[in-house]
Amino acid sequence: MDLGTKEEAGKSAPPLSHVLWSFLKIGGSAFGGSTQALIFREAVDNRKWLTEQEFLTGQALSQVLPGANPVNIALYVGLRVRGGIGAIVAVFGMIIPAFMIIMAMGYAYRQMSGLPVTHFVLGGVAAAGIGATLSMGFKIARKLPRDLVTYLIGFAVFLAIGVLQLPMIPVVLFAVPLSIALAYFGARRTP
Amino acid sequence: MDNRLLGLFIVFAPLSLLSFGGGQAIIADVQYQTVVVYGYLTNQEFADLFAVSRAAPGPSTLIAALIGYQVAGFWGALVSCFAIYLPSSLLVYGISSWWQRHRVSPLKTAVERGLAPVAIGLIFAGAYAVIRAAHVGPLELATIALCCALFYFTKVGSYTIVLGVAGLFLAIHALT
Repeated sequence: MDLGTKEEAGKSAPPLSHVLWSFLKIGGSAFGGSTQALIFREAVDNRKWLTEQEFLTGQALSQVLPGANPVNIALYVGLRVRGGIGAIVAVFGMIIPAFMIIMAMGYAYRQMSGLPVTHFVLGGVAAAGIGATLSMGFKIARKLPRDLVTYLIGFAVFLAIGVLQLPMIPVVLFAVPLSIALAYFGARRTP
Repeated sequence: MDNRLLGLFIVFAPLSLLSFGGGQAIIADVQYQTVVVYGYLTNQEFADLFAVSRAAPGPSTLIAALIGYQVAGFWGALVSCFAIYLPSSLLVYGISSWWQRHRVSPLKTAVERGLAPVAIGLIFAGAYAVIRAAHVGPLELATIALCCALFYFTKVGSYTIVLGVAGLFLAIHALT
């Protein structure tokens, strides 16, 4: 097989129905953090729409940019295989099943929100959710470069938004350029 | 009703562009805006909906659709869903197209490195906001610690853990 230029990839562009079906399947069956693994298996292993390297680039972009990672990766894959329309189809496929399920759960919550047992059980589920969030925070924190500035920025953002409840948008608009500038000039000083 | 749809859009559309790493990063501000600023939800409802969103499949940002549904029914869900995904998707679309045409540069590396600590701070702030909104007693604290350890150290599926905790709490409620 040739080292696939875009033109050659475009020659075997899959039909949109395949893109839609692949992402509908993933969107309906992915729980928690397993989504990226499912997209990888479908798009790289099964369908061979992307190489591993192309997928990894998409994954990095999806993590760096705002938005839900699975939705962003779906968009990236759709864009690679079928351009703009492919991106739209992939995103819709990713969101629709989960949206419908969560609507059903929201309806059930409305019916049962008067019962004390509902709040008690949901309190437990929320605790599990907090545990998942914390473990994700720790996992990412472990991979950060071990320097004081990085930790200080992370802690300052937590303090400002979590504890002091400052509005998020100004805090982030201040912290992001500062953090990027520090990373840029820090890397130049110590190459 | 229409004001509420507009309000939901105004809450979620800007947060879309701040949802680094997904829903966890913006949870603190979602709680603040929907409970404190707009008064759409009580703290109890917010904590409940957070739990429902964690029990559901799909990205955690879908909590926006759930809140929209609670506040303004189906159209509220649809408006919130668009608001939370459209801005970030447009950005990803633009940058993915641009990224494909450019190779590695020091600036790109700095952007990746610089965003990471901010995202981490947001994630912990989100966990803290939910802890504050929910009534966290000793039982819930123990659950948080146990689940954090399970998610961190084991490969037990997240759905297994969530269902297990729901079953455990159901049993405790029935027995007490």
